[in-house]
Amino acid sequence: MLEGFLLTVFACTLAIIGAVIIGALMASLRTSGNRIVRGVAFAYSDVFRNTPFIVQLFFFFYGLPEIGIYIGAFETGVIALSIIGGAFVSDVIRSGILAVDQGVIEAAKVSGLSRWTIFTKIVLPIALRTSVRPMGSVLINMVLTSSILSTITINELTGTAKIVASTTFKPFEVYLVLLVLYASLTYALSLLINTVHRRLNRAMDTGGAA
Amino acid sequence: MIVIENVEKRFGETTVLKRINLTIEPGEVVTILGSSGSGKSTLIRCINGLEALSGGSITVDGNDVSTKAGLAAARRRSATVFQLFNLYPHMTALENITLAPINVLKKPRAEAEARARELLKLVGLADLASAYPQRLSGGQRQRVGICRALAMDPNYLLLDEVTSALDPEMTGEVLDILAELARGGTTMLFVTHEVEFARRISSRIVFLEQGELIIDMPTERFFAEDGGFAVPRIRQFLTKMKKD
Ligand SMILES: Nc1ncnc2c1ncn2[C@@H]1O[C@H](COP(=O)(O)OP(=O)(O)OP(=O)(O)O)[C@@H](O)[C@H]1O
Ligand SMILES: [Mg+2]
Repeated sequence: MLEGFLLTVFACTLAIIGAVIIGALMASLRTSGNRIVRGVAFAYSDVFRNTPFIVQLFFFFYGLPEIGIYIGAFETGVIALSIIGGAFVSDVIRSGILAVDQGVIEAAKVSGLSRWTIFTKIVLPIALRTSVRPMGSVLINMVLTSSILSTITINELTGTAKIVASTTFKPFEVYLVLLVLYASLTYALSLLINTVHRRLNRAMDTGGAA
Repeated sequence: MIVIENVEKRFGETTVLKRINLTIEPGEVVTILGSSGSGKSTLIRCINGLEALSGGSITVDGNDVSTKAGLAAARRRSATVFQLFNLYPHMTALENITLAPINVLKKPRAEAEARARELLKLVGLADLASAYPQRLSGGQRQRVGICRALAMDPNYLLLDEVTSALDPEMTGEVLDILAELARGGTTMLFVTHEVEFARRISSRIVFLEQGELIIDMPTERFFAEDGGFAVPRIRQFLTKMKKD
């Protein structure tokens, strides 16, 4: 099952990176001044948050080849997981953006900084720092959701466990181990998130006005 | 020169500034006094473009703040220091000070940093260049806030109750710096409740009352028995401030 475990770790790592990038981008678009841009970004997160992941996964895996887009199962899985994760991450980062102290933004405005510089150098960096911890539960959910990737022939942790269980006829032991492995994985992730949070916020008083 | 002409500001139904006329010449230190809610902050926020005017006009060295290009030019000529400091919490003192010089004035980083260190030294914070705002005391934060404003080489410094969030000792350290700047010829428009300090450093005092500018006098006149003091409202205000 080690191989399956490593594949899960690999898939989740890629998907989490993807989700944070997509989430930051979508959150930025969702707070944009342009109505159309904002509408599209909201539609994206609404569609993906309000539909079952397994259906999205099947849609990408079985649907895309029909319209001539061929990508491997693993790639499909990682992309699908990034997309759904990104939808939830964008929620968190958007709240972070909206929570940035107005006084700080005003100081930046009167100093003549452009809107782009204010957003990329002040608003987004502050929002990302305050978002790390609230992002935790979203990222942990992504790890749990990754077990569904086994339904599209990816032999990650759950997929491997299914095979082992059916060949050894020891489902109790196998799935017990599986539960422990997922629990350890998410526990490790939450430790990592706490560390990142502490590092990024060591200098910063995220409680409000500086 | 900052020229404020017939400025009106309304928030919905309420008129907060009524036909304000005020001119600030280079080299002047003008203090705005007035009780709470009289519109002092709003006037400052109209000058630096944080509030749009409902009527009238403001120009900073001829740049009309109600046009986009004019506001950009006006903002390069003035700098604001805030009551609650409003430092960028994720940046060190040095980064707070150099951000706008590098991005707006397009100064080379090395030059901006050298100037920032010079300013920090001037306000007695040479050792704290790499400290984050959270680690600084209120007085230190405000001194960084002043450096951040000065780093833009502004023609005009706008200050809105920059010491009212500080305890007396820290207030002293910040006021000393402002007095130094005033002596050095920095043009300032200064909102404060520190009447004695205003008396010491300002060349002129204007008094706002419910959105109207009712007095505009040289400092000495303002405090003279037969000048500002003869106006009942001013006498009442000054007597009350003395007691607080
Ligand atoms: N954004 C706003 N929306 C509505 N009303 C506002 C707004 N900003 C200020 N006001 C009102 O405008 C009036 C003047 O406010 P302002 O902050 O300019 O007063 P101030 O003289 O600076 O008072 P203080 O000494 O308490 O700082 C107040 O009655 C205030 O409630
Ligand atoms: Mg005020």
